[in-house]
Amino acid sequence: MKRLFAISFLAGLLVVVLATTFWPLPTHLRYRSLITVPTDGGRQEEFVIRWPEDRIRLPGQDRSDLPATAAVGAAVLEDSAGQRASAELFRLRDADDNVIGVATRLAGTGGAIADPGRSASNWLLVIPSRGALFLAQTDVQDATVTEVPTADGPVVFAQAQTAAFWAERQRLLVTANAPATTGSVTTGRVVRGTSEFEGLRGSFTETWALDEVSADGSTQGRILLATFTAAGN
Amino acid sequence: MRALVGVLGLLLGLLVGASTVLLNPLAWMRGLPPLSSEIGPFKAYRGEAYRGIDLGAGSLLRAGRQDPEAALNDPALRHVRIAIIVLPAGAGAPAALAVKVSAAAESNSLWRAQLGTNDYWNIYWPGEGSIFATGYSNYWAVTRDGFFAVLGGDFDGARAAGYPVSAPPPPGSAAGVTGAAGRYAGFTGEIRELWYPRAGNPRGTDPDWAVAIKANPPPVTAR
Repeated sequence: MKRLFAISFLAGLLVVVLATTFWPLPTHLRYRSLITVPTDGGRQEEFVIRWPEDRIRLPGQDRSDLPATAAVGAAVLEDSAGQRASAELFRLRDADDNVIGVATRLAGTGGAIADPGRSASNWLLVIPSRGALFLAQTDVQDATVTEVPTADGPVVFAQAQTAAFWAERQRLLVTANAPATTGSVTTGRVVRGTSEFEGLRGSFTETWALDEVSADGSTQGRILLATFTAAGN
Repeated sequence: MRALVGVLGLLLGLLVGASTVLLNPLAWMRGLPPLSSEIGPFKAYRGEAYRGIDLGAGSLLRAGRQDPEAALNDPALRHVRIAIIVLPAGAGAPAALAVKVSAAAESNSLWRAQLGTNDYWNIYWPGEGSIFATGYSNYWAVTRDGFFAVLGGDFDGARAAGYPVSAPPPPGSAAGVTGAAGRYAGFTGEIRELWYPRAGNPRGTDPDWAVAIKANPPPVTAR
């Protein structure tokens, strides 16, 4: 009996050792990186976000309860002086339309952030299998989302999701091509990267492209983030 | 009788083995030192507006079932968590709007007492400026205490009031604060996080997370 107990005890220890060594901890699915290398160096990579379907709905947000032009997965914080910051959550796609990660857009207005009528925005692109890219820019106009109180609670609206915004255009380059006079945000700048993007610096542009206007006044389109990076720029 | 002895021996072996692995002394040696509360005070918040994994041992070990309402079902996002957070005003700073993305670290190792996530923050203070931050959070101590609490019959899980989950990043990961916009552009610094697992009860209202940030302006250089 003692011998059986000792053998089974050692077998238990062995199971733990094997499990600790070979347990399949989470790994992230990786798609082939779609990078173009220009002839004069650096690397170009384009990311795509489709609205409204790539917005990440937060728990408790039922799309059917909201107006067709409302944005889910977004929030607004405004202070008593009317200075606003807004946050939006998205899925991030590569140029082949694969969902490769998540993207967040935080934009703010007023004070030290941006000139009147403009905003400055930050993009956080996280590709779990590759790392993260931190982007910052001055916007060509106020590109924050806005919150409107309704009887059912506050609803967030994004300009690009309303047909009226596209009355005179099909595309909008959101990245300002000249720096703001207020603050220190520049035109599209890759601030930093982590893991595979560590040590990369460079520039980017954000473009909104309209694909379709629906009968209910809502729209479908794409946010295009075109990055150009090089080591240590 | 023989079968019972065999099962008891096996169970005892599993228990002793799991306890030995969980009591890995590396877990106690690997935390980051806290920031001075005067320079970087903790801001507590309730982090319930999230999608993706719940940061429990089940999610980080790929052994639990995810809440279908919160799960991100895209194959590349199965082990990711994304949240919108409002950091309250206080200690001389206004309220801030933030996003936090956590991704299970592929460098996790059960032998090295690493069971954590790579975390990415973007924090925006309206009218003031914004920062990016990145760090590594290790939930080993939470898992260990939860295991022993259950063994002791306390099924509420982990015992400590708050866990300083920030840990030095594994090779290949990075940590730190980088200023992005407004008056914080060019700043650099550090970030620390605390988790209060006991406050995470869905019916509760207490803050279940806290974050502290220390950031310094860029050095002045003479031309």
